[in-house]
Amino acid sequence: MYVWDFSALGPYWGLIGQGLGITVLYTVTTVVAGLVVGLVIGIARTAGPRWLSPPLRAFIEIFRCTPLLVQLVWMYYALPVLIGVDMSASMACFITLSLYAGSFYAEIFRGGIEAVDRGQWEAGRAIGMRQGRIFRRIVLPQAIQVMIPSFINQTILQLKNTSLVSVVAVGDLLYQGTVITAASYRPLEVYTVIALVYFVVLFPLTLVADRVEQKMGAHR
Amino acid sequence: MNARPATLSATGIHKSYGSFQVLKGASLTVERGDVVTLIGASGSGKSTFLRCMNLLELPQEGTLVAGRHSFAFGKGQKAPNDAALAPLRRDVGMVFQHFNLFPHMTALRNIMEGPLQVNGMTPAEAAELGRDLLAKVGLADKADAFPAKLSGGQKQRVAIARALAMKPDVMLFDEVTSALDPELVGEVLNVVRNLAVEGMTMILVTHEMAFAADVSHRVGFMNDGVLAEIGPAEEIFRRPQHPRLVSFLERFNRPAG
Ligand SMILES: Nc1ncnc2c1ncn2[C@@H]1O[C@H](COP(=O)(O)OP(=O)(O)OP(=O)(O)O)[C@@H](O)[C@H]1O
Ligand SMILES: [Mg+2]
Repeated sequence: MYVWDFSALGPYWGLIGQGLGITVLYTVTTVVAGLVVGLVIGIARTAGPRWLSPPLRAFIEIFRCTPLLVQLVWMYYALPVLIGVDMSASMACFITLSLYAGSFYAEIFRGGIEAVDRGQWEAGRAIGMRQGRIFRRIVLPQAIQVMIPSFINQTILQLKNTSLVSVVAVGDLLYQGTVITAASYRPLEVYTVIALVYFVVLFPLTLVADRVEQKMGAHR
Repeated sequence: MNARPATLSATGIHKSYGSFQVLKGASLTVERGDVVTLIGASGSGKSTFLRCMNLLELPQEGTLVAGRHSFAFGKGQKAPNDAALAPLRRDVGMVFQHFNLFPHMTALRNIMEGPLQVNGMTPAEAAELGRDLLAKVGLADKADAFPAKLSGGQKQRVAIARALAMKPDVMLFDEVTSALDPELVGEVLNVVRNLAVEGMTMILVTHEMAFAADVSHRVGFMNDGVLAEIGPAEEIFRRPQHPRLVSFLERFNRPAG
């Protein structure tokens, strides 16, 4: 029988905390940047000029149809060869994660906007509102209601996906786990704790998503 | 010349979707206070014609004059942009078959939206106007209800109030009772009838022939993409000329069963 010994982790709690901090930092910054990217692409694809849609679609599909790990490695090791500029690991991670999140958010935005009945645009026009105002006042609030559950789910995925940055030696939660394991020879305890920390952060988020989804039914 | 200027005049309206021609030169002029009903077979272009009158659909050819707004369509004419269309639609209101209320706003907020966002009214003024209009359509107690909590008839009355809040010169009604349960039709038609009595200029598309006969000054028959016949309600129903109108009316007069 394996004898668990969590006390061996004693000296390393600080590192775990640090790793969690980096994980949360990457999640928050890349979710925010991803939302901006997604909103811009989503609006451009629904309301922008028609010629703009295919290239944006291509961009989205490239990020959705290749593994994030491959994207990270490509951005860190391959892109510098192409453009001749070295990129720090943290910058490569930030850019990749933001674009990756952005391409998923873009589809969520587009889906939400298109889910709003065409009659809503017409009703806005019929009282003399301009397109931009109809979008902001009438369509977007309804689209956001539709989007919130998918948005939360995608954000949960994003937090989990940040664990891939450990591959290029960015010191997130998982990376610290590797470091601690190398020093303590206690992989079972270390990775169990790491998994628990992810769970403790993410589980409440899924509860929030469920609550929001239920509440959304209220005015419909 | 004419002492009473036309409130709205659509002339020679052509509208196609792809190669499919829906309107082939439809024309209609309404004077202030006129109540005109458009009837005709399904697919004859009634809705399309009506939607060309506030330019929710842009015709390929024709002219539209509504009050101080004037638009010409055809070769060499630039299509009007959003900024040019919005002022027209402030003055030409429309009520839809499926209400199209804003589901995330209360009844009162729905009505206030135009005055607040388009006419620049203060919230207090808009709320007062909104409550007056709700009272006028018999829904004073529903100010804070969301559309999902209203019956079809109530929704449509809120939608009429929302259009009235812009103080339009003309109101367009596209089959505003055909999505309603039969027992709710009356309450909406009453509101429309009261507007007619008050002298509101209105163009209605409806399949309610009795209502059309009762409330309209003139009835127009749409056939094959044009306004084929128009005249006083009496004339149209008693002495229809166009053979297609004759057979169209026969279908309505045939006893049920
Ligand atoms: N956006 C569109 N794209 C393509 N075809 C359209 C479009 N809108 C209307 N049509 C077609 O144009 C024709 C006229 O439609 P319209 O809705 O004006 O008829 P209508 O007289 O209002 O009929 P109904 O009594 O059924 O409401 C129909 O054949 C319809 O299928
Ligand atoms: Mg129709």
